[in-house]
Amino acid sequence: MSTAVMSAVAESAEQRAALRSARIRAVIFLLFTLASFSAASAAGAKEAIFSFWIDKIGGKDIILTFPIAVPWLISGAISGAIATLQFLRGASFRWRAAIGIAAPFYAVATVGALLDGTAANLTVLFTGTLNYAAPVAIGSLAGIISERSGVLNIAIEGKFLLGALAGAVASSLFGVAIAGPIAGLLIGAAVGLLLAVLGLRYKVDQIVAGTIINIGALGITNFLYLRVLQRYPDLNQPVNIDPVTIPVLSDIPVIGNIFFNLSPYFYVAVLLVGFFTYAIFKTRWGLRLRASGEQPSAAGTVGVDVIKLRYRSMILAGALAGFAGSYLALSGTGGFGMGISSGRGFIALAALIFGAWHPVYAFGAALIFGFADATQTLLSILGVGLPPQVLLAVPYVMTIIVVAGLIGRVRGPASAGRPYEQG
Amino acid sequence: MRLELREITKQFPGVLANDRVSIAVDKGEVLGLLGENGAGKTTLMNILSGLYRPDSGAILIDGTERVFRDPAEAIAAGIGMVHQHFMLVPVFDVIESVALGAEPTTGPLGTFDRATARKQIIELSERYGLAVDPDAKIENLPVGVRQRVEILKALYRKSDILVLDEPSAVLTPQETEELFEIIRGLAKAGTSVIFITHKLNEVLAVADRITVLRRGAVAGNTTPSKADASSLAEMMVGREVQLTVSRGASKPGKPILQVQAMNVLDGRGGVAVHEASFEVHAGEILAVAGVQGNGQTELVEALTGLRPIDSGSLILDGNHLEGGSPRHIADAGVAHIPEDRSRDGMIKGMTVAENYVLNAYHRPPFSTGGRLDLKAIAARATQAVKDFDVRTPSIDTDIASLSGGNQQKVIVAREFGRDVRLVVAAQPTRGLDVGSIEYIHHRIVEQRDAGAAVLIVSTELDEVLALGDRVAVMYEGRIVGILDAKDATRERVGLLMGGAVA
Repeated sequence: MSTAVMSAVAESAEQRAALRSARIRAVIFLLFTLASFSAASAAGAKEAIFSFWIDKIGGKDIILTFPIAVPWLISGAISGAIATLQFLRGASFRWRAAIGIAAPFYAVATVGALLDGTAANLTVLFTGTLNYAAPVAIGSLAGIISERSGVLNIAIEGKFLLGALAGAVASSLFGVAIAGPIAGLLIGAAVGLLLAVLGLRYKVDQIVAGTIINIGALGITNFLYLRVLQRYPDLNQPVNIDPVTIPVLSDIPVIGNIFFNLSPYFYVAVLLVGFFTYAIFKTRWGLRLRASGEQPSAAGTVGVDVIKLRYRSMILAGALAGFAGSYLALSGTGGFGMGISSGRGFIALAALIFGAWHPVYAFGAALIFGFADATQTLLSILGVGLPPQVLLAVPYVMTIIVVAGLIGRVRGPASAGRPYEQG
Repeated sequence: MRLELREITKQFPGVLANDRVSIAVDKGEVLGLLGENGAGKTTLMNILSGLYRPDSGAILIDGTERVFRDPAEAIAAGIGMVHQHFMLVPVFDVIESVALGAEPTTGPLGTFDRATARKQIIELSERYGLAVDPDAKIENLPVGVRQRVEILKALYRKSDILVLDEPSAVLTPQETEELFEIIRGLAKAGTSVIFITHKLNEVLAVADRITVLRRGAVAGNTTPSKADASSLAEMMVGREVQLTVSRGASKPGKPILQVQAMNVLDGRGGVAVHEASFEVHAGEILAVAGVQGNGQTELVEALTGLRPIDSGSLILDGNHLEGGSPRHIADAGVAHIPEDRSRDGMIKGMTVAENYVLNAYHRPPFSTGGRLDLKAIAARATQAVKDFDVRTPSIDTDIASLSGGNQQKVIVAREFGRDVRLVVAAQPTRGLDVGSIEYIHHRIVEQRDAGAAVLIVSTELDEVLALGDRVAVMYEGRIVGILDAKDATRERVGLLMGGAVA
């Protein structure tokens, strides 16, 4: 047996595993195809009655009526195409990106099926999806930066809560809109620093430290809400950060209402995701960040100060998460309320795993999760369809499927959670 | 550049790691730094690379004193380290790995300038004959190539002094020869090289001058022309050393261990041991050679019940043992000296006596009805400590406070403390001093002569050749050849280790 044959055998072990996942994915897409086609035939001639606001919310609307079978057939066809490509191209096929193409059609089909003929206006469904995704995507980004540097970050939830409270109070005190996000950012950075000191200086287990922050933040914010904000309601009268209307683009019929009339947080989220995707994968800072998270000794021995880099990343991550948290209290929710984050920090964590520690994919995951949330809101308002809890469970179920590695291995930073000691 | 370390002293709690050590290397010279494990070589290099600060003493470059507060300062002064455990990021490609920490950038955001780095790396690899594909991912590269990447890393930083710490530990003899060629080339081009090793023949082959360390202090300076293997060994250990293991011819009996078409998975979706078939007879030692990470670990784990066997059979004395628990297999007469002593061989924080009875505490005479008989344990442990020459203050001492050699003796005493049909010893002497190595080898040969079958896995070719009555070679999960001792020359085994055809 020659050397070449031997190494071919060794390589194939890993390749086989990747190929197996690729085949499983192909089968899953195929099942989706079949399910879509059978849903199409079950829907028969039943019609979806969707409406969208044309120029402004609550103004004139446009009503689309079409058989529910149509989006099912389209999504079935796309899934079928993905399944075929997945079979043919194997592991090299970019299935995460492919999901992005199928997702809108599935969204329409699912909503149509769930509404089951009830007329509904969908503009709010889509804006709700996008607005929900904004803090979640920024929260994921915070997690990505921290974990890529090698520190586990499960305290996003706690930072959301503290950021929301600080944002509400600061905004009420100063009476200017910008005070809220800034306060969220600062408190988040402080919590990030605290986590860094616990994890990096005292080497507290990073899961334990994160859990302490989460539980502590819930307790502190509840306490302050009951004992301070309820007594002095003036402290919980923040200046809302209203959706901004982007000139020209927002005048596009239908689309303008959905994409160009959103909370500023959404546009900031898009900018941040773009900026940090570039920074993480294309810059010197990103190279060192990733090296510290994967193999800190490799970075340390070439003179990178791993501990300092991790401190900075934790503070940056904290600031981002706190900033995202301020959204929760400042977006027309009437200020801070107990447990206002309602698990969205954990959804952000799920999105970062689902998105394989990549900002853009995590943003995509946040959109899917946001859609599930917005749909359940719509259904419960209209009082039709599934019990809302089913849809709320979607992010968690999807995350479990991904973590189980069935559809492809997600590999996080190898050294995340491990303290680094030089020498 | 001329580098001099003058009177370096470094104290750790309880250990004087470096005691007024002075070494020097001139421009274009190769200094061999020889010493046993624990002689203080690595501490000295960590001081040189800025990871540790010396308690006293000075580092001089071209006669000027320098102080390194962190690795960045040592690198800036022209010192390049190639660590024993490679410092590479598995998911990075060669360009990223080499440039990390010294990245060329463009633009206001500090964008990593891949193209420039790529050009510089190709230039260096051509100039010094270090062939690598700059775009390959580290995790897909063989160990020998990874080492070239490490050397490129140092050259990329314009190091004038290259320090290689035990560079041949993971290489086949042929790859080691290639490395020597590279080192000679670098020295000719003016680089000063410090070559750290515990292998005598390597310093003799490549060094211009040799400094020997013993117990933290310089034991002597010499040159390859004035020294030979036995004089170096004596200098390194402090007494005369027998370089070969004395043992009689083997008298193989009937087969004790039979392994047939065994497959073992690696737990990451791959196959670690592929269709392994071999026998070990009573009264013989089968030594398994191979570069680290070619399935030996998984083979040993499968033989001792620590890792499930995917398919194939494992037969001991005619009885099938596939799927047996580690205790079941141990009770069948298998003694296991594990590869990672401190992880799998003992429980730190427990005493010598407790560690001694780990494989038998659950039955008489050590316990009755669920209650430990502490007197019986103490009596047997005391005897074992005497029989196996374990240097410990008492049997109630925490095993973690003993030296590696004495820890290994406790493990060997435990495993050999009952009827043994098969000995499975993985890297039984890794990290031990010469005295302990001789002792452990002697005990293993003793088991063979008493009629046990012995399987030794070692990545040290010297150990394989010294002990094996037959030598099996593993490469990428397969047993690529089994040779009789008389045919097992360094060269033939080395070629097999690199995957050549038997």
